[in-house]
Amino acid sequence: MRDFIVVGLSHRTAPVEVRERLAVPSDRLEQELREIAASGRFDEALLISTCNRVELYATSTNPIAASQVARDELARRLPASASEDVLYQERGVAVVRHAFRVASSLDSLVVGEPQILGQVKEAFDAAKGAGTMGTLLGRCFTQAFATAKRVRNETGIAEGTVSVSSIACELAKKIFGNLEGRRTLLLGAGEMGESAARSLRQTGTNLHVINRSEDRARALADSCGGRAVPYERLAVELADADVVIASTASPKFILTPELMKTVGRSRRHRPLFIIDIAVPRDVDPRVGNMDNVFVYDVDDLQQVAEENLAERTREAALAELIVEEELDAFLSWRRSLQLAPTIVALRKRFGQIAEEEMQRTLPRLEGLSESDRSVLEAMSRSMVNKLLHEPMTQLKAGAGEPDGPLLIDAVRRLFAISEQEPSKRDASTEDGPEAKVTQLAAAGTGSTGESK
Amino acid sequence: MKAGLFIATTLLYALACVLYLFLLTRGSDKAQRLPGTVFVTALGAHLAFLLLETPPPGELPLADISQILSLSSFGLGIAFLLASYRFDVTILGAFVAPLSLMLFLASGLGSNYAPVSPGVQSLMLTLHIGANVLGLIAFALAFAAGVAYMLQDRLLRRRQLSGVFQRLPSLDVLDTMGLRSVLVGFPLLTFGMVTGTFWLLRSGGSEFYVSQALGLVAWAIFASVIVLRVAAGWQGRKAALGTMLGFLFTLLVLAGYALRAVGGSA
Repeated sequence: MRDFIVVGLSHRTAPVEVRERLAVPSDRLEQELREIAASGRFDEALLISTCNRVELYATSTNPIAASQVARDELARRLPASASEDVLYQERGVAVVRHAFRVASSLDSLVVGEPQILGQVKEAFDAAKGAGTMGTLLGRCFTQAFATAKRVRNETGIAEGTVSVSSIACELAKKIFGNLEGRRTLLLGAGEMGESAARSLRQTGTNLHVINRSEDRARALADSCGGRAVPYERLAVELADADVVIASTASPKFILTPELMKTVGRSRRHRPLFIIDIAVPRDVDPRVGNMDNVFVYDVDDLQQVAEENLAERTREAALAELIVEEELDAFLSWRRSLQLAPTIVALRKRFGQIAEEEMQRTLPRLEGLSESDRSVLEAMSRSMVNKLLHEPMTQLKAGAGEPDGPLLIDAVRRLFAISEQEPSKRDASTEDGPEAKVTQLAAAGTGSTGESK
Repeated sequence: MKAGLFIATTLLYALACVLYLFLLTRGSDKAQRLPGTVFVTALGAHLAFLLLETPPPGELPLADISQILSLSSFGLGIAFLLASYRFDVTILGAFVAPLSLMLFLASGLGSNYAPVSPGVQSLMLTLHIGANVLGLIAFALAFAAGVAYMLQDRLLRRRQLSGVFQRLPSLDVLDTMGLRSVLVGFPLLTFGMVTGTFWLLRSGGSEFYVSQALGLVAWAIFASVIVLRVAAGWQGRKAALGTMLGFLFTLLVLAGYALRAVGGSA
């Protein structure tokens, strides 16, 4: 019977130099999948490629051989310097759990970041386009999307910003509302200051750059889409700015209360948000006590980032529970695809209908003898058997084929056989080839850890 | 019927208060709209209550302090709905709903207030009261925005940036809302004071000294807030403080009338 495999590498196992060698651009995904599928070892295949992970998901009737093929396929592309240890592989239910966790952004570098879901959807579409998507992977990833949606809606995993630059932006928005047309003044040329200025520039603020070295200011302004201003104009620029990012290398305070008081007269009480990213600090702490002036230094921002991250980690524990719930649902669907319970359920359903109709009809026939009744009952039983004969034969023959689960799924849907029903009879039908997956699930549900 | 409706309205307002406060402090993704729905329901019950209260024809409306308070509460709710549509400040219900509840409850206490004696009623009086009720509503909104501003300013300075800080609007929106509300309320208050004085002179009454004095203080506060905002560019914390102070004085004026009415009936 078919089983899932995954082989890949991620930010947890491989440095960026290795990951970038394996990355596949999204427009090449389909092509790549067709080539991989051409090896003939996989029934289904799906390739996720982002800057933090490259993973090949597949199903195969011979999962052990298939994961070796997949591993070789990826190992072939590794740079000579990298050892094969960067690749991890999984089989069975662990693959499904991993897929759910990846789509829900639980396995991401920044837990809760929103891009991954879109990238997985892209991979899903590519696999459909390449024709390497079948029942099992299809159901697995459709449910992974549902899991991701639940995680997003039911936990706070994506709440709160976790980078210093975007926290600065969010704070600025909370002070000024719309940032469009506001003025940012970048003071100095520190790297972190530059990245904060870039983020603010993206929200639509105008950017002025001021630096002791005018060449440096000009270069920086050009690269961020801002305007360089001579250092002598500092006071004027301060008077016009809404957000000031200070990141000079000056050992002394540059924005002193005296300077800010002079500037304040022409600012006419407009709010001013000062982000002091410099170490040692550029802004005298007393400036922060002035009315309508808000000063945040790098520690403050870092602390917000850490609080948000801690909050996300707490929420991630809730998300893991959702993943396990969805995994259970997936496994019970998977079990429902077993042949035996389907046959039992199908017989039961037909038998039930025949029985019901008999019960309805018999009272309306008058003068029936006991033997007449048994003839009628025998007829209804034989009709059920004859009607079921061909479907049963086909079902038994088709179940072993690669698309067997699809066939069983179709039968279950055609005759409205629910998924829960067979799982209750698990004990009696455990001897199916799928039992292995079930056992893995039982062993695996306890741990919510990362599949390595 | 009337008493039942009064209790139902009170309970709905109280429930809206609790739900708004819960939304502000705890946040909720699922029940975002619930407090607003309850608040609108409360307004509906309040409207029904007001319709029952309609004075018999021939008698001027708004003559009774109880009606004035009830109508102010209702008008505040409507104005808040309009403002939250305009500024996207639904969460300010956490400050507006308690004000609505307070005014409505006060109107209930006044059910035995003596109406102004029919002899002193006139069109001038109605204009005076109408303008002041509208002014009060505008100032109440400004007050709510001011409270929210002070809270945001404090949270921002204390670096308590999760939760409440995230859910309240930006300082800029709150400041703008405060300014606009005062700009709307001030002319109404001025008009109310002028008509009030005329009415007093005409009816020869002179028993409103305290209220007049308090009203004058409130007027002066709002006048300086506007002058400082427009001429000196004041904004933010001090402007919010001034606005809140002005509103408290207008409340005092109202309380003065209410006390006088109670005294008159005793």
